[in-house]
Amino acid sequence: MATSSAPAAARSRSWRWTAITGVALLVLVTIHMVAHHFVVDEIGGLRTYEHVLEYIATPIIFVIEGVFLVVVTVHTMLGLRSVLRDFGLSGRWSRLLERGLIALGVVTVAYGIVLIGILASRA
Amino acid sequence: MTANATTRRLRVHRYKRGDSSPRIEEHDVPADEHTTVLEALRWIQLNLDPTLGLRHSCFHASCGTCGVRVNGRERLACVTMLSDVPGTVTVDPIANLPVLHDLAVDMEPFYARFPDPHPIVRDSELVPDAVPPGTAQHERFEDCIECGLCLSACPVAATDGTYVGPAALAYAQRLLDEPRGADRDAILAWADQDTAAWRCHAAFECTEACPSDVRPAQRIMALRRELRHRRTEQGREVPEQPTEAVSP
Amino acid sequence: MSERGLRPERDPGVEEILRGRGRQGPVSRKAPGPVAWFDLRGRGTGHLAFSLHRITGLGIAFYLYLHLAVLSMLLGGEDSWNGFLELATTPLFLGLDVLLVFGLLFHGLNGTRLSLVGSGYVPNRQKALFWSFMALGAILLVYSAVHVFTAGD
Repeated sequence: MATSSAPAAARSRSWRWTAITGVALLVLVTIHMVAHHFVVDEIGGLRTYEHVLEYIATPIIFVIEGVFLVVVTVHTMLGLRSVLRDFGLSGRWSRLLERGLIALGVVTVAYGIVLIGILASRA
Repeated sequence: MTANATTRRLRVHRYKRGDSSPRIEEHDVPADEHTTVLEALRWIQLNLDPTLGLRHSCFHASCGTCGVRVNGRERLACVTMLSDVPGTVTVDPIANLPVLHDLAVDMEPFYARFPDPHPIVRDSELVPDAVPPGTAQHERFEDCIECGLCLSACPVAATDGTYVGPAALAYAQRLLDEPRGADRDAILAWADQDTAAWRCHAAFECTEACPSDVRPAQRIMALRRELRHRRTEQGREVPEQPTEAVSP
Repeated sequence: MSERGLRPERDPGVEEILRGRGRQGPVSRKAPGPVAWFDLRGRGTGHLAFSLHRITGLGIAFYLYLHLAVLSMLLGGEDSWNGFLELATTPLFLGLDVLLVFGLLFHGLNGTRLSLVGSGYVPNRQKALFWSFMALGAILLVYSAVHVFTAGD
């Protein structure tokens, strides 16, 4: 019998982590939506410029939004990977696209953290 | 033909090796309230066009040979009555397998997806001597008639030719239920792949299409449950090697 | 046959068969490639759920970047942000917001079903689970839509 080329447990990792991040997002998205649209009594619940900066500069908020960004990016990249996998592409293309997704994920998180960092510093 | 005889229009997928693309042929076929799709197709074959290629065998939904798509839905032609199909009846071969000709598809890629040993006989059933007393040990009741309707209905198989598909996974799960000497660990390792148990997106189309109560989607989920237990067990044990090797 | 046994990898010959090399004849499909994911003719509820989950997923993924772009307007200062706020309170925009909420609710609730059923927890009640989640989603959607259009009035 041929031996497997990768750890057996590792192969089901992406489905598992998509589910785990997904469940985490149920909580995080709810918090995010409530905090942004159901707290402030403006049209759409949207804050003015000053309020936004004040909000994001609050340490606990900064952390939660940061964690939210990471989790949502991981979930999105895993989801896109799943869609790409369903195309049944050959090994070389699928590996290339997976590396592209990892890169995209890193850039997304980096950009987002820098963005809220700058905004928080302006409060 | 009873007093309820009518004429039904059939649109049949036609393709022969060497054709640049498939075409649709229309035929008007006499039918009554009991005429099945298979009977209509055979009427065409016998009276209009002997070159129409199709497969069938038992006429009663137990051999799994006559799988087709009727107006886009996977059905066994022998038990699908025209009276249950409104309007024009379009008959296509089942999807996601190469068409050999007309309504017959190449089932080899269907069987190639199954884990070994397959298709029928397991190790415990390879008996070198004459039939031993009591044939009970050789009886195994399996619903799956290997018709391929599940693979045709699966939205993942529609785009991913490497997905092993519902029939193969359901088979693996049945082996776990009743191994009869088959290596459970090897089955689980086979299933624990991105091309196997984890590719299913729970559309449950396979269960909808199955004419034989196999419920492949539920079996895939049961397989995942087993894989989950196996992972938790492995987590508790201290692994001897960093990678999971399947021993011969 | 028994020597080969069960293998986690397929042998190259089988791989070739599955990839269609050496096989003549077209493969019959209802629709080409990924269009089949969204073609609901003759398909059941499960396929609808799969289709919608994929559409909402891709939609939300697109929205993630749209959202980051919008938030980047804050870097342009108060005037730039106020410009956005004016746009964001128009009825069309609020309507799109409701669409987004639908997408999030569907994807989240259906995703919960997928996580439960897909781990093998509730194998036999999945249709009931789907429709209960959809009912909950409908209630939350109506509540959100009302809030979106009436907040700040």
